[in-house]
Amino acid sequence: MTIYSLYIYDRHCTCVYYQDWHRTKLPKPAAEGGILPAVSHQVYPQPQQDTISTSDPISTYSSPRNTLSSSSGVVVAVNEEQRTTTPQPPQAQSGLSFDEEAKLVYGVVLSLRNMIKKLSGKDEQFVNYKTSTYKLHLYETLSGYKFVMLSDPNADSLRFVLRQIYSGPFLEYVVRNPLVKMDSKERGIDNEYFRTSTDRMIRGLSVFQ
Amino acid sequence: MATTSKQYKVIGEELWKGRAEKTNAELFALTYGALVVQLIQDYEDYEEVNKQLEKMGYNIGTRLIEDFLARSNIGRCVDFRETGEVVAKVGFKSFLNITPSVTHGGLPIAASPTRSSTASPAPTIPGATFTLTLDENPLAEFVELPEEALEGGLWFSNILCGVLRGALEMIQMQVTATFISDVLRGDETTEIKVTLVKYLEEEVPVGDD
Repeated sequence: MTIYSLYIYDRHCTCVYYQDWHRTKLPKPAAEGGILPAVSHQVYPQPQQDTISTSDPISTYSSPRNTLSSSSGVVVAVNEEQRTTTPQPPQAQSGLSFDEEAKLVYGVVLSLRNMIKKLSGKDEQFVNYKTSTYKLHLYETLSGYKFVMLSDPNADSLRFVLRQIYSGPFLEYVVRNPLVKMDSKERGIDNEYFRTSTDRMIRGLSVFQ
Repeated sequence: MATTSKQYKVIGEELWKGRAEKTNAELFALTYGALVVQLIQDYEDYEEVNKQLEKMGYNIGTRLIEDFLARSNIGRCVDFRETGEVVAKVGFKSFLNITPSVTHGGLPIAASPTRSSTASPAPTIPGATFTLTLDENPLAEFVELPEEALEGGLWFSNILCGVLRGALEMIQMQVTATFISDVLRGDETTEIKVTLVKYLEEEVPVGDD
C-alpha cells in the first residue's frame, strides 16, 4: 500500500504543485512554457535534466512494483521498458511531458466532476476512481483548489489525507507565507517548507510503505 | 444541509475557542491604528487611503478564506442569505470574536409590481444584499477621528470591506462591500453593506485543439 504522487491545481485550472514518491516512470520535464515556475523542481524544463533532485533516491525504481507495465498517473504512451536499477539520468521516462500529463489529470478530474454533478445534483462529490494500477483521490475546496493523489489500487480513501495536507502544510506554508504568491497565474506554490512538510506527513502515514 | 443560526453560532464559538494562537486585542488595535496613520501620512488623501485599505483587505481576504474553509469544514451556502449568516456568525466570530447582526435585503433587478409587495426578495439574484451591524469594532478600540478625517471621508475600518470582498471572490462570488455608517464618524451604528454583483463562473481549462 503506497502513495505514488500528488498534484495540486488552483481555481485557474493550472497545476501549481507536484510531488511524487513512487513512480515507475519518471515524469518527463515539461516543454518550455508548458508549466509555471515553482511547481516542482523535478519537472521544470532545464538545460540539464535534474530528475533526481526531489524524488526519493532510495531504491524506488528497483522495487518489485516495477513489474507493473504501465506507469502511475494517466494514459501514457509507453515508449520503452528499460528498467535501470542505478539512479542515473537516463531513467525510463513516461512518454508524455509533464505539462501534458498534468493537463490530462486535470481534465479527467474536471470531466468526471461535471458529469457527476449533472447526473446527481450539485451536492454530490466526486471522491475517487480506481483502475487496475492506481487509485486517484480528489479533495476539492470551495475555493477551487483541487488536491489530487494517486495511490495503489488497494488503498482506502485518502480524502482525509488530502484534507490534512490542506489544513496542515498548505495552510501553514502557503497561505500564511507572504513570500508565496497565491492565485497568481504565473507561479506555482512550490517552496521548501511546504515540500518537506508534506513529504514528512506522507511518509509518516501508515498507508505509506 | 440546513443549518440553523444557532448551529452557526455554536460553530463560530468553537472555532474561536479552538484557535491556538490569538493576538492581544490592544496590540492589534494599536498596530492597525498605526497602519492607518502611516497611510494617511503617505497618501494625504482620504479617498486614496480608503482605497488602499480596501486593497490590503482584499489581499488578506483571499488567504483568510482558506484558513476559514480549512478549519470550519462548512459546505457551500445555498443562497446569499445563508452566506450573510455564515459570514456574521462563523466568520467574524472565529477571527475577531465579535458577532455582528445581519439584516438581509436587496430587491431583484427586474422587480414586477406584485413581487415588490412581498417582503422577501429572492436572495440569490444579483442585487441581493446583507448588512452587518457591528456593535463593537476591535479595530477602533482607542480611536477618535480628527476633523479633517471626518471631512475627508475616511472609513477607518475599511480593511474589513476588502477582506469580505477578497474572501467571497475566492469562493466564486463577486461582491461590493462598503461602509454605510461608522460610530467613529458620529453615526449611531457601524454598518457594512455587502451587495452581490454576480456569481463567478468556474473556469475551464483552455482547450488546445
